[in-house]
Amino acid sequence: MPTTQYGHHQVHYELTGEAGRPVITFLNGLTQNANLWTSYADYFVPRGYRVLAYDMLGQGRSSKPVIDIPLAAHADMLDQLLTELAIDRTHLASISFGGIIALDFAIRYGRRLHSLVAMSTFAELTPQLEFLGAVMTQGLTDVGLPYLQSMLYPMNMSSQWIAANRERIPAMKRAGYIGNDGYAMQNLMESFVKFKPLTPELHKIKVPTLIMNGEFDFFTPRECHELIRKEVTNSRLLIIQRAYHAFTLEMPAVTMRQIEIFLEQVSSGSWKGDQSVWIAADDPAAAEQWLPCAGDWRRAVQIATPVKTRATAASKTTTRKKKS
Amino acid sequence: MIDSARFDQARDRIAAAGFTPEIQSKITLLLSAAKNGNLMFHANLQWMPGLGVVQQFIISQSARELEAVTLLARTTQWSSDPALALTASRIVAPLVTAWSQIMLPPGPVFNPQAAYRGISLGHAQLARIRLLPVIPENADPLDPFVVALTRIEQENGRMLQTQIRLLKSIGEDVPLEEREALVEQDQELVDGVFNEFLTWLAAP
Repeated sequence: MPTTQYGHHQVHYELTGEAGRPVITFLNGLTQNANLWTSYADYFVPRGYRVLAYDMLGQGRSSKPVIDIPLAAHADMLDQLLTELAIDRTHLASISFGGIIALDFAIRYGRRLHSLVAMSTFAELTPQLEFLGAVMTQGLTDVGLPYLQSMLYPMNMSSQWIAANRERIPAMKRAGYIGNDGYAMQNLMESFVKFKPLTPELHKIKVPTLIMNGEFDFFTPRECHELIRKEVTNSRLLIIQRAYHAFTLEMPAVTMRQIEIFLEQVSSGSWKGDQSVWIAADDPAAAEQWLPCAGDWRRAVQIATPVKTRATAASKTTTRKKKS
Repeated sequence: MIDSARFDQARDRIAAAGFTPEIQSKITLLLSAAKNGNLMFHANLQWMPGLGVVQQFIISQSARELEAVTLLARTTQWSSDPALALTASRIVAPLVTAWSQIMLPPGPVFNPQAAYRGISLGHAQLARIRLLPVIPENADPLDPFVVALTRIEQENGRMLQTQIRLLKSIGEDVPLEEREALVEQDQELVDGVFNEFLTWLAAP
């Protein structure tokens, strides 16, 4: 993996695909690393893109600052990395912690973007997220990194995925434990102490923005994405059916297909950022991929309009008679 | 940076051979050398003037390191091979030398640079020397040595909070980049020792 310098720190990155093609930059979440985007590079490079993925500061093989790493440094570092790689503009796709960095980047360095994909993320700490973040940090500091890892599997993945991967999970956790450092995770999590909500700045994002949220993501639920949808005028919200927080890992085929469609719309000029809400097809091969959303997308249950029947009308009459 | 393949090789060796007295002795020799250095440093640093509430954390850390070293000494099935001690001494020599330099007169109590270095080296040890990944999945989780390693590693994470807080709050007159560079030097030193140790652990 090639390396570049950001101040005193080293940043490991992977850039695949022919020079001159449109670039998609991927940003990962906490406890992840650039390798997790390899399958995305395998998908998008043959489709005419270049793919840039890198280990953010504090993760993977990049430097893990011990003393401090301000949240804003991540977007500044991405700006420098793009300059060093002579990439003028990029599509930026991101998940979770990477999503916040991407939103910050889009606000401050929007001129460097063709488009933005923000997945399973948030622009501000809702009270629920604030409390979740506090308990995750407490788990990390009081019990340790293995505890945080154990906590993240059920928070990020579905029962179906856990059941199918139960045998592999110990080895995956071990690899994560070797590749991550508890203090670096703690630094990244504690950088939220000084985090100012991005919501008031979101209106500055002008590039086409696809917001993607898992149907059952209870870590960053609908309200987090709804805040972004409402503030970014050139956006659409796409709900991934039956998905949890880490659907980029659990449902890569569906995710790649949705990003591909979005990028095609942006490139062809057919993109319509109207803040509408859509539902992604389950099948990446389906003819129609973005299905209209009927009902209130902010709710988990859909209430049908009550229909007057003879039986209900009769029972109402009886009740009235009894009362009189 | 620790090469993850070295963890795998060491774990494979332990899975095949079990936690033999030789393997247990190797692990305990490394951990004891690291922890004795940190213990000695904290036992001295506790008398630094003006520590305030930090003093209690410093004392707690030296006590916990003492507990860890004692627990290891009691639970280890020791090998009687003196060659192990000689090889271990060579591998941990960079750590022992670094701690000795920190403790040189006037010692960390009266030398803020040595105090900073000790906290930084302690951070590197507690953060980077990790043995949970070498415990095979088929190991008995109730084996006393396995229990000791697990508890010690968990306690390392808790103890590390003292170093994390101190490194963030002291030496603010020195530019952040310089402080980070000092800490990274110690991480490289510890990683070098630990990489060599894992190779030794994996060797038949």
